[in-house]
Amino acid sequence: MAEKKLFFNLCLTLSLMAALVLLPHGGFAQEVNSSFNPSEMSDMSDFDPNNFQQPEGDTIKLGYMQIMSGAAASNGELFWPIVTWAAHDINKRGGILVDGKKKKIEIVTGDTQGKPEAAKKETERLCLEEKVDVLWGTSGSHLAKVIADVAKKYKVPFMNCLALSDELMDEKNFNRYTFRTLSNTTQWNMAMAYYFSKRPETRFSILCQDYMYGHSMAGAFKKHLKKLKPEVEFVSEDYHQLWLKDFAPYLTKIMATNPEVLYTADWLPDGDNLAKQVRNMGLELPIANIYITLRETLKALGVDGTENLINGYCFMSGDTPQTEAQAKLMKAWHEQWKTWKAPYDSDTYAWPEVVLGSTLNDTYWLFDVIKRAGSTDPEKIIEVWEGDVFQSIQGIRTMRADDHQAVYDMYISDYTYPTKEVYPGALYSEGFAGPGEIITVPQKYCTPPVPEGLKGRAE
Amino acid sequence: MIAKKSAPSWKQWVFPCLVGVILLAYPWVLGTVYTNIFIYFAIFSVFAASLNMLVSYLGVLSFGHALFYGGGAYATALFLDHIEGLGLFTVILIGGAAGAALGLIVSPLLNRVKATAFALLTLALGQLAYMACLKLRFITYGEDGVGGFPIPDLTLPGIASINMMTAENFYYLAVVVLSLCLLLMWFLTKTPFGSIMIGIRDNPDRVDFLGFNLPMTKAIVFVISGFFAGIAGAVYALFQNLVTPDGAFHIMTSFTPIMMLFVGGIGTFAGPIVGSGVMTIIEELATRYTTQIALFNGILLVLVVMYFRTGFVGLYLLIREKLFQKESS
Repeated sequence: MAEKKLFFNLCLTLSLMAALVLLPHGGFAQEVNSSFNPSEMSDMSDFDPNNFQQPEGDTIKLGYMQIMSGAAASNGELFWPIVTWAAHDINKRGGILVDGKKKKIEIVTGDTQGKPEAAKKETERLCLEEKVDVLWGTSGSHLAKVIADVAKKYKVPFMNCLALSDELMDEKNFNRYTFRTLSNTTQWNMAMAYYFSKRPETRFSILCQDYMYGHSMAGAFKKHLKKLKPEVEFVSEDYHQLWLKDFAPYLTKIMATNPEVLYTADWLPDGDNLAKQVRNMGLELPIANIYITLRETLKALGVDGTENLINGYCFMSGDTPQTEAQAKLMKAWHEQWKTWKAPYDSDTYAWPEVVLGSTLNDTYWLFDVIKRAGSTDPEKIIEVWEGDVFQSIQGIRTMRADDHQAVYDMYISDYTYPTKEVYPGALYSEGFAGPGEIITVPQKYCTPPVPEGLKGRAE
Repeated sequence: MIAKKSAPSWKQWVFPCLVGVILLAYPWVLGTVYTNIFIYFAIFSVFAASLNMLVSYLGVLSFGHALFYGGGAYATALFLDHIEGLGLFTVILIGGAAGAALGLIVSPLLNRVKATAFALLTLALGQLAYMACLKLRFITYGEDGVGGFPIPDLTLPGIASINMMTAENFYYLAVVVLSLCLLLMWFLTKTPFGSIMIGIRDNPDRVDFLGFNLPMTKAIVFVISGFFAGIAGAVYALFQNLVTPDGAFHIMTSFTPIMMLFVGGIGTFAGPIVGSGVMTIIEELATRYTTQIALFNGILLVLVVMYFRTGFVGLYLLIREKLFQKESS
């Protein structure tokens, strides 16, 4: 009897130990299908985003759908070094073996101009005239929706690594050619709400962009924070036009309501302009944000302006690379960045971090999927990607088969100063704060269920 | 004795037949991308031609013509989004009716002002519609626009039901509807009513003294112009399957047909069509090499205003005249 009890206790202890070890990694051990290992990266010392060498001949064509002109053209510029970096790396390795032949990656640009009509026209041009094999993009959920619709029509796989709105992948809008590698609005806000439920602040102001994404983000934040912390009060809630230049009327109203935290999900250029104006108007409250991460903006805000930024994202590196792989990538990128010319010589591109890091990670995931599919046939790509488990440089990412939504741990950080060296001789930042202690919100706390109508779809 | 009109020679039919054959073969020869480009061109031709009625025939410059175009586009999209079973031609007519209704609503205001004040008032009305569209999210879905609404098939009772989601099928519909609009507008300019319009442009006081009701006549022109702009908007909505404030009511949506008029040639019926064609071609070519399309459009407009104010049509007429004179001499 005593032996039986001892055996039971031993089993229980071992189970608990196993759970303790596995839980921080996002639950029980998942079998990884593939991984991105920076050790396998080719020598990138000849990489220059200003002079990307397009391969010739029979290539795998990637359609880079971004805002390349107009008020938000900075988005198109921002992600160009990301796709070209990954493509250059793969091309130097000899390309990807598809349909019995090694093919290099060619990048074809499609300018959405930040307008749905232009996005539709350009996506059609890329699909029909340029005959791209995959589509990559894009900033703006309203633009991503248009691209997803065209991708479905012409059966071209579309990796959405930038647009977050839940609606994009719900029962109504889901299509099997679109895969979202980025967290959706619910994931992000479940994580942010979890974080703020542990903090003392109770008075929040919301200021977001007035379109699908802005409303979706604010709605999700309110819903999840209220659930975890019922005493919370949303003292103001406003939505501004996209690409706004002057936030003063909104900020004056916000100041009158005396909030403890300003919540915004604004992206470029609105997020940066908003942050600058908030600080210029003397508002020193914490800004909970997702995209106020560009180093040029942080530099302009200075130490005082950045110390109260609270950033949440699915990829965070900052001054404390968490893994050896991350550190290796950070070093390779940063050393090469020192050789780049304008506009990529700016501090914004100094490190592959936050949104740059996550899209770089996702681009490697896309290429890895094509490699494993051994083909650019959309059906083969879908087959590999659905349910895929990928070891990224920041944790495991799982592509849910039913709704094509990637799920993973989220990260939140309160920006602090001074920051540390990323590696000897390379300070993370001087003159502004950066991610300090990075808090991991395990995916079990920030994973929404598959939309009801899509459950079991892939079976 | 009245001289008998000679029967049209076969040569007169060559050009229309050639155009017909080209239009028929176009989508099959040039493919979907160029077919879509042609549809854009056709939509903007009608939109610019509807503005031309105000500018070239009534002598007033509207900076807010997108009000009618966007009104037609939104009406079509919202009707399709909320009401099931609407026919294709019904929704196109709904778009036209929305444009016409807006023309009727704003005509009492527009009739009170002239020249610069007219231009500024139309600009204000266009911008009002733009802002209303952004802010009335519960109706218009704000910045995201109305999209994904069902596109009705073209049903020929007892014969066929044609899917309008394919570019080729939609092309033929657009060509027929928009050609019909252009023909009707052209016909209108040749009627006595068209002469009154020109009379108002050249000497409104004289037309008034002749006993014509000036405000009523102008109101009718606003309604007709709004109707055709609304039809263009409706076809645009069906073609895009998406209508957004930027695409429908943005200030550039009002300025684009103005530029087309200048480039094609003000004062002629063909001007807006030629202008639309030239600007579409330039935009398509420029897109392949640069993201600075507005720069190309700007340069073109400066060149037209500085060196050939009669636009491409005027330039063509000038060249033809010179050649004809040479041949005569």
